[in-house]
Amino acid sequence: MNKRTFKLAGVAILASTLALAGCGARTDAGTGGATGTKVAKIGVIAPLSGDLSAMGLGIKNSVDLAIKQANASNAIPGWKLELAAEDDQATPDVGKNAATKLASDDAVVGIVGTLNSGVAQSTIPVLDAAKIVQVSPANTNPSLTKGADYLTAPKRSNANYFRTCTTDDVQGPFAAQYLLGTGVKKVATIHDKTPYGQGLVTEFAKAFTAGGGTVVGAETINPDDDNFSAVVSKVKAVAPEAIYYGGVYSEAGPLSKQAKAAGLKVPLMGGDGIYDGNFMKLGGTDGDLATSVGAPVETLASAKAFLDGYKAGGYTDGYSAYGAYAYDAANSIIAALKTSLASAADAKSARAGTITAMSSVAFEGATGKVAFDQYGDSVSRVLTVYKVSGGAWKAEKTGELK
Amino acid sequence: MKAIISDELKLRLRYQARAVGIVGALAMIASIFLTWAYGHEALDDMAYPGAPSPLQLFFGLLALLVLALLAIPLVGKPKLGRWARIVAWNTTAKTAALAALGMAVVAVAGIAIELGGLINVDPGGWVALAGGLVSVASTLFLPDSPEPSLERVKSPKWLQISVIGVAMALVLFGAAFALGLSDAGSFLTFAAFLVGLVMVLRQFGAFDWLSIAGANNNRVLVLSAFAVAFVFPFTQDGSDANMSIAAQVLIFAATALGLNIVVGLVGLLDLGYIAFLGAGAFTAAVLSESAFSRIDFHPPFIVTVLISGTVASVLGLLIGAPTLRVSGDYLAIVTLAFGEIFRITMNNLDGSDGPNITNGSAGIPGIPDLDLFGFNFGDPHIILGIDIGRFANYYWLMLLVMGLIIVVFTNLNHSRIGRGWVAIREDELAAEAMGVNTFALKLLAFSGGAFLAGVAGAVKAHHDVSVTPEQYVFLESAFLLAAVVLGGMGTVAGVLIGATILKLLPEKLRFFSDYRLLMFGLLMVFMMRFRPEGIVADERRQLEFHAEDEELADEVEEELITHHAHLNPDRKAFEL
Amino acid sequence: MDLFFQQLINGLSLGSLYALIAVGYTVVYGIVQLINFAHGEIFMIGAFGSFATWTVMGSPTDWPATGSLLILLPVMILGGMAASISVALLTERFAYRPLRNAPRLAPLISAIGVSVFLQEFVRLFYGRIPGLPDAKSSIPFPAINGITGEIIQIGGVTIQMSAVFTVGALAVSTAFLWFFVNRTRTGRAMIATSQDPDTARLMGINVDRVIMAAFAVGAALAAIAGVAHGLTNGNIGFRMGFLAGLKAFTAAVLGGIGNINGAVVGGLVLGVAEAMATSFIPGQLGSSAWKDVWAFVLLILVLVFRPQGLLGAKVVDRA
Repeated sequence: MNKRTFKLAGVAILASTLALAGCGARTDAGTGGATGTKVAKIGVIAPLSGDLSAMGLGIKNSVDLAIKQANASNAIPGWKLELAAEDDQATPDVGKNAATKLASDDAVVGIVGTLNSGVAQSTIPVLDAAKIVQVSPANTNPSLTKGADYLTAPKRSNANYFRTCTTDDVQGPFAAQYLLGTGVKKVATIHDKTPYGQGLVTEFAKAFTAGGGTVVGAETINPDDDNFSAVVSKVKAVAPEAIYYGGVYSEAGPLSKQAKAAGLKVPLMGGDGIYDGNFMKLGGTDGDLATSVGAPVETLASAKAFLDGYKAGGYTDGYSAYGAYAYDAANSIIAALKTSLASAADAKSARAGTITAMSSVAFEGATGKVAFDQYGDSVSRVLTVYKVSGGAWKAEKTGELK
Repeated sequence: MKAIISDELKLRLRYQARAVGIVGALAMIASIFLTWAYGHEALDDMAYPGAPSPLQLFFGLLALLVLALLAIPLVGKPKLGRWARIVAWNTTAKTAALAALGMAVVAVAGIAIELGGLINVDPGGWVALAGGLVSVASTLFLPDSPEPSLERVKSPKWLQISVIGVAMALVLFGAAFALGLSDAGSFLTFAAFLVGLVMVLRQFGAFDWLSIAGANNNRVLVLSAFAVAFVFPFTQDGSDANMSIAAQVLIFAATALGLNIVVGLVGLLDLGYIAFLGAGAFTAAVLSESAFSRIDFHPPFIVTVLISGTVASVLGLLIGAPTLRVSGDYLAIVTLAFGEIFRITMNNLDGSDGPNITNGSAGIPGIPDLDLFGFNFGDPHIILGIDIGRFANYYWLMLLVMGLIIVVFTNLNHSRIGRGWVAIREDELAAEAMGVNTFALKLLAFSGGAFLAGVAGAVKAHHDVSVTPEQYVFLESAFLLAAVVLGGMGTVAGVLIGATILKLLPEKLRFFSDYRLLMFGLLMVFMMRFRPEGIVADERRQLEFHAEDEELADEVEEELITHHAHLNPDRKAFEL
Repeated sequence: MDLFFQQLINGLSLGSLYALIAVGYTVVYGIVQLINFAHGEIFMIGAFGSFATWTVMGSPTDWPATGSLLILLPVMILGGMAASISVALLTERFAYRPLRNAPRLAPLISAIGVSVFLQEFVRLFYGRIPGLPDAKSSIPFPAINGITGEIIQIGGVTIQMSAVFTVGALAVSTAFLWFFVNRTRTGRAMIATSQDPDTARLMGINVDRVIMAAFAVGAALAAIAGVAHGLTNGNIGFRMGFLAGLKAFTAAVLGGIGNINGAVVGGLVLGVAEAMATSFIPGQLGSSAWKDVWAFVLLILVLVFRPQGLLGAKVVDRA
């Protein structure tokens, strides 16, 4: 063995490797698939992991259901819809990355999400720049649609943003009217300092005092707290006839339980954030009240289609608090796509058209009538008051907010 | 392994082992021309016979390394000359074989998982696996080689500089390639390749050589690193998806570097560092032109940055002054409490529990893009025919901020102040006895670190568009600390690596995200137990963690002397 | 005036909870000078352990008050202790003991890792144990007849039985602890070790055993606190340990870390201060949203003006 042979062998191996690497062609005639149908994707940005994942997965599954139903009925001829779900971990940073990722996918034409208003603030600008419509099933912060001065000078902030849930200025007043109607005149309010809870309480208090009632106490709690004895004692001292709570069931349940344990035996009322089966498990008791958007599901044919479809879909996670809103959000995008995709050559060029088409969308959804006003808010003003009785939510009163 | 196979056996079987190993390597090379997967969806499509996918080519590269390391020594010791001793041929071959096997295992597992079952792994995958196993098994029978001594090889300056340049280019290529892999299996396979390659190069002595070359050409190294980082956006073809991650990594890394001064140099455990980033971000948000800002004072960004940094450092003074006098343990918890105070306060300044400054938990959205000298950071630009998006602009800005922080960090580290800090870290009482003003120095580190975080926060506010209190929770502080601990306390390169790993992996491995924090907790415990000095160890620090290790102490001493000799060839090696 | 006494009761109940947890910090710190950052999680594990015990007993809800108080509740507490003590000893063995001679930063960082790990472990895997509910959101704590929902009304002041239980548990635990530390061999070995570990070792004391005993004692009291927390608040969750642990540490520092009596006094003072702050600080700063801030401000003030704590630390910083 001498050096020369080795050199030669080495060169030969290297050369043959390179030659072989160069010769094969990475094309494949077999995988073209069915031509003719084009693909458009509807994205989902929601917490798919972490402690809010139950709600996030409910949103994702409901969108999936809407897409499957649309494909099955060939809702948009020539196009096949697909789901592109991204996890935002309920944090703005991750949500923003998810939005940029979806925006750089040319097939994405619309997005359902987010769960948290805080995350939406980060995703909306990214998606607006890419002209992608975003429909949220859960953001209730009024400034997302009406801008910083939403009370005095509402001004639409981003043309691409819509939502199917109602904002606080619908639910709060409806609850106030209901309580006044049952003869309650003195109410203490508590909220969890989230935009949702604070907004609900502000709007509630405004309508309640305007209707002749008095807000005798206004308290706040920290959402990560679980001992409310100090607040309860303070509220008990002013002897209200009811408590109006702005927040979600995970604190409302224990709060109701601790209030009753401390001898403050008055009903606790809240918004759709506490209209959840877990509220009773965590301490919600008979007599507690909640408002929720739309007529009761049993009375609505369009809602039945959702519930039956979800059951038949075989999803392991429940549709949770915002599933129906997400289903409506996806269907509103699909309705807009019917117009915008019809004439579009590819999905990307239909993005701007989808935003324009959103304003004329109107149909009966799982939560009632779905349509958007000039700010992108849902026009639905039909609400139902539910009452806990026998450990379950029972519809108490359905009406339209005037 | 040494215990299992006796040295005599190794000596007896060395020719056979080498031959078998070469066969294994050839099998691996051959495998890349076969199909590995039954379907096209797995990894980066390994279903074409005769045309390897990029990942298969990378595998081939490892296999070629095994082949070369096994085959070259066959020319015999006389022909190799001193290279027979300089390179640890056998040991490196073993490492390379292990690396190849590891990559094959990850790839095959990835194919099986993505396509649903091992049945979808084609013969090529099995050949690769078998070849890897054969070569690993056979290299175990090779006699161990002495430690490599590549760093003692004299090399001309041009060679050193060009190798640094090539290495940097490779880093750029690797980063761009890794970010381009959207599917988790491909990413993990490539990560396995990278880890394997790094191990092989380490065993080869390449890093020792590079660190000497780097020390000799410090300026070249730093400049080329920055050049590479600067060029990075051009590899992204106008896509913002990866640039938004990259910009976030930089913000995170810059903040972690600030924390590194406090934790790594001075040894003060700050568990509320995220609050300083938040203070900077909130200050910048309130002073920005956002419609949600409640203060009618909107100075230009240059001024805002300084105010943000100052606000953060004043907070640092406020929290540091009372606590830096007591023991370090207290500081950890007090800073943690301070982090909570900050978050709750930002939540409460909403008009109902305090003056309305931050809008409470809704935070301040709609922060406009930066506009510096007529250059709007929100506008995409076209440079050299390549689209540069919004996030790339922020990426470059953060690169500048990062450069500033690195300059401050390294200069301080090598100054009188830095030595004072390290003295405090190692033994505060002794430092004080030697006349070091420990309180003032600690306070300086604490508020200085806060200033840097405030500056990073100001950029972050504009980059993120919205600032909310929930972005600044304790867990984020823990992540920052983890970046410092993982990478290596007191080092710049380590913290950069740590920050990149901690931010990039969760983005690329999203299927894993529910277990992210679980793994994170375990990682902290295991790092402290098995490698407390981090991936890139600061030498003094390493010694501190392994005080009983005499061998290491000698090694560090020796290295310090040689390093010094390299840095100051004229001066005599100082005595230790 | 009713409000004052009501908040005093609330504060004492809350403070007893803090005190029970704070003892764990202070005992461990007194002996190994380690802030066991994961101790809040041990408290959480205690609560989840007692819930699991309740499930194993067949999730009884209809036991009469005497049976509940004499059998059900003690068994649940013992179950919680078994869980918290074993987890505490495991963390000591695997996360802290190997680092005993490492720089002081190392065990603290390791403790943060343990804390995050334990929270996530409970969140992800508690529900996977057959029969146990998913822990990803809060779990309603079982009602114990004789305590849950029972109140004592004195004028306008409502005293819940759960508060009586918490304060009583603290009193009994403190008495036991005093006996254990001053009258048993292990207890005296703990004192000796905390004063001088090296001499203690020379005197034939098994320091490893003493350290384990310290962790076990802290964990046992934390488990009682976990049950008290469940009874008072009606639910438990995987995140309950973080804030409670932080407050309890504050209480330990307030009383003088390393001083067991100090931890009890510190806990009570902190609890009462927090409850009073929500009612008697005027204006917007009196909102209960600020109560955690006041607790931490108190911590910083103590460090400025009296770093040795209210009762004085038994072990002054020897570093």
